[in-house]
Amino acid sequence: MLDLKGVARYFGGVRAVDGLELTVGDGEIVALIGPNGSGKSTTVNLIAGVFPLSAGAIYFRGEDIGGLPTHRRLQAGIARTFQNIRLFGQLTVWQNLWVAQNALEDRARRGFFARWLGGRARAREEIFQLLEFSALAHKQDELAANLAFGEQRRLELARALASKPKLLLLDEPAAGMNSEEIGQLRERILSLRQRGVTILLIEHVMELVMGVADRIAVLNFGQKIAEGAPAEIQADAAVRRAYLGGEA
Amino acid sequence: MLLDLLQNTIDGAAAGASYALLAVGFTLIFGVLRRVNLSYGPAVMIGCYAATWLHLNFQSGLIVLALAAVAGTVLAGAYVERLCFAPHRSGSAIAAMVASFALWMQFEELATLVLPRHVYAFPLLHEGAPVEFLGLSLRPDALAVLGVAAILCALLQGLLHRTRFGLAVRATIENPHAASLAGIDPGRIFVLIFALASAIGGIAGFLIVATHGQVTPMLGMWATLKGLLAMMLGGLGSLRGAIVGALVLGQIEAHSQWFLGPQWRDLVAYLLLFALLAANPSWMTRWTISRSAS
Repeated sequence: MLDLKGVARYFGGVRAVDGLELTVGDGEIVALIGPNGSGKSTTVNLIAGVFPLSAGAIYFRGEDIGGLPTHRRLQAGIARTFQNIRLFGQLTVWQNLWVAQNALEDRARRGFFARWLGGRARAREEIFQLLEFSALAHKQDELAANLAFGEQRRLELARALASKPKLLLLDEPAAGMNSEEIGQLRERILSLRQRGVTILLIEHVMELVMGVADRIAVLNFGQKIAEGAPAEIQADAAVRRAYLGGEA
Repeated sequence: MLLDLLQNTIDGAAAGASYALLAVGFTLIFGVLRRVNLSYGPAVMIGCYAATWLHLNFQSGLIVLALAAVAGTVLAGAYVERLCFAPHRSGSAIAAMVASFALWMQFEELATLVLPRHVYAFPLLHEGAPVEFLGLSLRPDALAVLGVAAILCALLQGLLHRTRFGLAVRATIENPHAASLAGIDPGRIFVLIFALASAIGGIAGFLIVATHGQVTPMLGMWATLKGLLAMMLGGLGSLRGAIVGALVLGQIEAHSQWFLGPQWRDLVAYLLLFALLAANPSWMTRWTISRSAS
């Protein structure tokens, strides 16, 4: 699904990401962990196309997407959520999802009337399902700015899903959540995988990472220092030194 | 006295309606691109000159002239967008504004080159005397301007709040970066909004010259000043604010002209703007703040 080959990004002299190799298979949940400033968010931004690569290449479903602008990558099937929430506060919950479906309509380019008659009903149905999935159906006419924190997080996930991504990039989705909310998030992530969505998860909250990830890659100073199943990572001495804070 | 006051209010509303269309065009461009387009007014002037040229050479009817004004303004607007705003999209706002000033000068030169006289007559929307009604004199063309402006503003409101394109525009205004990550192409929104704003400007320009009955190259500066002033009175970047600002501007001009004399008309409007900027009320800056916080 996703292949990073020698991906690098330099900010001036700082090597935020330095020669990263990472593969995410179809239907897999891969977690990317590491201490603060280790390059996790930069990696997500590179995949989403927020800033250009300094070196390396990114392949998505076999195609080099390194040069595509962000909205084209979304149309290709890569959606993301943000570490700090970025909803459209002045649009309602429903409108936030509707506007994110935009990409699909453009891609389909069906006849005008078909789009208005068939397309509208289908779009409504899909948004309704997303609202149900995110437990936001009762808030659909609320302005996004007026939602509680947890609801905004759920809406952001729903907005990413509105574009029907094949690959979902989750940038610290559990930040600021309590244990119960993390449990619900875990259920959502697992049920997304069952629907065939591939997920790359950036997360500090080990409770979530260990519960959902098939495979974990650990970054430190922009480089991958370990990769493996959750149990292997927990046992890895280098990881414990760099990240888990264990006495090695 | 009361009748005079009422008469001034009606006249002010008609003037304010034409300012509202200019201010809405300005605000659309400013809201989406975060750039001040000084050659917005001059582009409107070019549209009106295209219509005047058709009038002089072919004696075309008013509908054709209106279409020519819109087409001319959109073409001039496209020229401005390509030369001033597309190259500076992610760059300097000042560079774009200065470039738009340069095009303003170009447009004025072009206009005087094609039609060199200082003033040209333009066919009126309505020939003949105003209608007398309860002691008030009502100009049918002014009422038509009021009606067209109201309809256009309502359509625009519907477009921005009821259609997916409108939502994409509002999402881009709020946060262009997040919008592109939601699959919206900001570049496409910019171009479409520029075209829309130019078309509205073309309609405004046609209505203005067809009620004034004349065209001069100064129309460009006049339209930029009125639009900018109304937009600033209403708080930068809010469409409703721009409409309110334009209506307020129309009233101030009409009443100060009556009470203080025509030479005071513009000065009072500028004084009010100065006072508002100095007092810096929260509604004038709220929008800009919400933008930077996102």
